[in-house]
Amino acid sequence: MAELQLTVIDPAGLHARPAAKLVKVASRFQSRIVLRSGERTVDVKSLIALLGLTVRPLAEITLTADGPDADDALAALVQELGAAVAPSSDGAAVALPPDGAAVHP
Amino acid sequence: MGLVLVSHSEQLVDGLRAIVAQFGGSDVPVAVAGGTDDGRIGTTAPRIQAAIRSVLDGGAEGALVLLDFGSALLSLEVALEWLDPADRARVRVSDAPLVEGAFLAGVQASTGASLDDVAEAARGWQSLPKLPEA
Repeated sequence: MAELQLTVIDPAGLHARPAAKLVKVASRFQSRIVLRSGERTVDVKSLIALLGLTVRPLAEITLTADGPDADDALAALVQELGAAVAPSSDGAAVALPPDGAAVHP
Repeated sequence: MGLVLVSHSEQLVDGLRAIVAQFGGSDVPVAVAGGTDDGRIGTTAPRIQAAIRSVLDGGAEGALVLLDFGSALLSLEVALEWLDPADRARVRVSDAPLVEGAFLAGVQASTGASLDDVAEAARGWQSLPKLPEA
């Protein structure tokens, strides 16, 4: 079991494009992978579940993977999210990038 | 696993194909049947059949058909009757809304999912309100 806490810093939140990428990457792994945001936990291999979460900018999310390739799965997911997330550290403030830093066609 | 997008408008399904390619990637075969042969708004069975054939003949395990409304279903039913039973068994018709269903199905298909799983993913939108906080 592996777990990672992240803060969503993409000004658009976890919208359709990163959600679709997460599903594609997660599906390559055997592990069960879930994303928790607030009270809700969803399967990262389900696009509709991720979209239903409507993860907003600055939301704290937790990715948890359980299975033989859990560590690799989390590493691949974080790499795929890239600059859309930052590692959460206790109590540290995370700032959104300035306006225009991200473009969502 | 491929998708067949059926609409009264050729431009609509051309645009939708571009969306699916953007989110699902270029590995998912997508064929479109939009409008009539003379460029009018409408649907025709031969155009739908040709789109289904192109996905099946391209080597896809199966095809999920997503459609808009009204006569699209009538034209589709005729096109399906023209398929031989073995090919017909590789085709599923989705009840999902065209745009959202194609987006979900395209991403699911890109993971190598089965026809059943892709069809199930497309149906998912029916449980997702567009205005979650309304």
